[in-house]
Amino acid sequence: MAATGRVMLKALNPLSKLLVCVVGLAASVLVFDARFQIALIVLTGFSLVILNRTSPLLLLALMVPFCLFGFGFLTTSLLFRQDSDFAMRMAGEALLTSPAFSAGLTLFLRAVVCGMISVFFALTTDPGALVRALMVHARLPPRIGYSLFAAMLLVPDLASEAQQMRIARAMKSGRRIRRVPGPGEIMSLVIPLLAFAIRRAGRTAIALEARGLSPDSPRTVLNAPGFRRSDVVFMIAAILAITLCGAVTFTDINAFLSLPQVGYEEPT
Amino acid sequence: MRSDPQSPRAGFAAEWHEVTVQYPFAKRQAVGPVSLGIRQGERVLLLGPSGSGKSTLLLTLTGLVPHSIPATVNGDVRLFGANVGTRQPWAWAAQVAQYFQDADQTLCGMRVEDEIAFALENRALPPARIAERVKEAMERVGVPESWCSRPTSTLSGGERQLVALAATLVQDAFLFIADEPTAHLAPQAADRLHALLTEHDPSRGVLIVDHRLDGLIQQIDRMVVLGENGTIIAEGPPRTIFRAKRDLLASEGIWHPVASDLDARLVAAGLAPRVAPLSVEEALAHLDPRTAPRGHVEKALPAVEAFVAEYAMQGVQTAPDAPVLARLVNADCAPFLGPTILRSIDLAVHEGEILGVLGANGAGKSTLGLCLAGLLPLKAGKRIGAPGGYAFQRPENQFTAGTVRDEILDALPKSMAAKAKAERVAAALLAWGLSGLESRHPFELSQGQKRRLALASLTVSDHWPLLVLDEPTAGLDMHGVSMLISEILALQERGQTVAVITHDMDFALRLCTRSIIVGEGGILADGPTQDLMRDTALLRRAGLAEPSCAKALQWLQRAVSC
Repeated sequence: MAATGRVMLKALNPLSKLLVCVVGLAASVLVFDARFQIALIVLTGFSLVILNRTSPLLLLALMVPFCLFGFGFLTTSLLFRQDSDFAMRMAGEALLTSPAFSAGLTLFLRAVVCGMISVFFALTTDPGALVRALMVHARLPPRIGYSLFAAMLLVPDLASEAQQMRIARAMKSGRRIRRVPGPGEIMSLVIPLLAFAIRRAGRTAIALEARGLSPDSPRTVLNAPGFRRSDVVFMIAAILAITLCGAVTFTDINAFLSLPQVGYEEPT
Repeated sequence: MRSDPQSPRAGFAAEWHEVTVQYPFAKRQAVGPVSLGIRQGERVLLLGPSGSGKSTLLLTLTGLVPHSIPATVNGDVRLFGANVGTRQPWAWAAQVAQYFQDADQTLCGMRVEDEIAFALENRALPPARIAERVKEAMERVGVPESWCSRPTSTLSGGERQLVALAATLVQDAFLFIADEPTAHLAPQAADRLHALLTEHDPSRGVLIVDHRLDGLIQQIDRMVVLGENGTIIAEGPPRTIFRAKRDLLASEGIWHPVASDLDARLVAAGLAPRVAPLSVEEALAHLDPRTAPRGHVEKALPAVEAFVAEYAMQGVQTAPDAPVLARLVNADCAPFLGPTILRSIDLAVHEGEILGVLGANGAGKSTLGLCLAGLLPLKAGKRIGAPGGYAFQRPENQFTAGTVRDEILDALPKSMAAKAKAERVAAALLAWGLSGLESRHPFELSQGQKRRLALASLTVSDHWPLLVLDEPTAGLDMHGVSMLISEILALQERGQTVAVITHDMDFALRLCTRSIIVGEGGILADGPTQDLMRDTALLRRAGLAEPSCAKALQWLQRAVSC
């Protein structure tokens, strides 16, 4: 089941997944309710763990930057709201029931939802297939499409290039290479890496041209993913699930949840 | 001298009429004036010293210079009778397949399969036809099917070169242009590719720039030689040129087949074959010890011995009890962010030794070299010994200064007196043929000049008792390699240890007293280079080939035993 799901998620047209992800992101922005955000997190996380066999630990690790980002919203909301009362906040129960906390919590969860949906898309989509699908189904100009290919592969090349430069510099200075480069070392690598990226971009442009990439002639795109019945099923199921999460949110189930007041209230 | 198609003529695939090229801000012309024509079905070799403008000349052919690379081009360049400027460079792709000097210039940054299919996709061929031709090209070049889904960025330098060649050959164009297609390839792969490139096809013209002539030159119909000033200094059939213009080529630092050296000695001995030879077998065919007059064989013996001596070991054998300078103990080696590719490596290098590191493309030679120099952490095991310096395959990675002079200056100890520094820099510039380029930015140099600068900055100081040189001969002309050999020998005299990663078997045989052969995830063999070079089964297993002088050595053995 998991293996089938994994294959299925990867085999789906990237544009179907992109559409579902965009709907999910839009919903998380529009529905300002912590329960809805939690439902989306659970739904997306479970899909990844169960269907894509993503390690929960990896998922947690990937969520760390989004949590830190969301935590910024939470603290900002708590500390800088005009109607906040510092003394009340220091009293735990009052803090948890305050509108500022509710709003901050929802913003925090929204950041995590955005992260979770992005990770869902990234972990289940081959970037090459996405670019090809965009060229075939979304009329992305091939020149931009192939520039994207080159840019995607430039990242690992930059890492490897940076490593070689670090080795060369460590060798010249007669010290051992550090596991993690310091800020000074990073700054000194910026210009040479930029030069490498520019040189590489120029070479790639020449390579594309020399091998016949024209701005407007018709061309074949191999291995471009098409739309299948499974894409339709996935899109319907995913959008239904998101709608269901929204519907549950607006049902009065506060009594069953331990969460305090979670709806957003405009400050008076 | 010119091959000079005076006007567009039928039967010519490519023509240059009085073409000159000058790059912006350059003081002199990069090429020309050059007049040259390539007939359909003709296989032409373009030779010239480093920086003579060979690559530039090729880039003018489809208009990439000046359309994509700014330069002033005068004269007339024609393809199949039409002025090149009448079309955009991309519009010539169906007629002209171009393989550039650096594989990264040919590849566009995709997966292997997509990379090979790209040119055919641009021609809007049906998918089934593309798939068929991709498979065929992969088989011809020897790209394994398991690479199909790998991004080209995960391949080694030589592997990328194979993919780039497959991506160019798949175009099946009327004119094939290749700029040093085998520079980073192991001998067997290079031989296979030479055979592929020069397959006789009356409808396909071939123009190749390559320094590795043995195995290629026999298939070439005509060769054109550019001088240092970017003009044609010789042109004609290879047999004629290599015998008649031998001294001129040598003075310009242009590569020639090793058979040419043997021919020179046989000419001096009055035993030259009637037709100038292009291989050692050809040179000695009329002197077969079993059939040739004994007097002739005896007269040829000193000439052949001298030839073999020239290509034999020049490095000094280190004493068997020389102290170990660096050692890898039960080491597992992996490239940066990559999986372990070499396991349980036990390797020691001794003081004053020149060690050859040989092996097929992707065998892990560079990774082993970095680990041996102590610059790449081991996955397992340990490294003991002195720190090592490393000359990278891509010399640009080493450059940190804004001028050639500063690049060398930076390598000298800070405590050294300014006058002594200036003297050392001047000596290094002279020794590596970089005089006159002091104020240039390192990135502005030609590939051969960049490599010489990288080596000059590494060898100018005594920072590193161990130096690892990764394919140091790639992109160098004959003068460059001669300089390299004498510099390495001078380093050995000063007691320095050098490990040379190379695909050039002649170079390894000349320099390396001891060699290791890397392959199958470990070290396949470790011993005196001369012994390893005689083990044909081992060489075949490792994707290597015998050195060029091996046939002469065999002839000597037969001559002595007869």
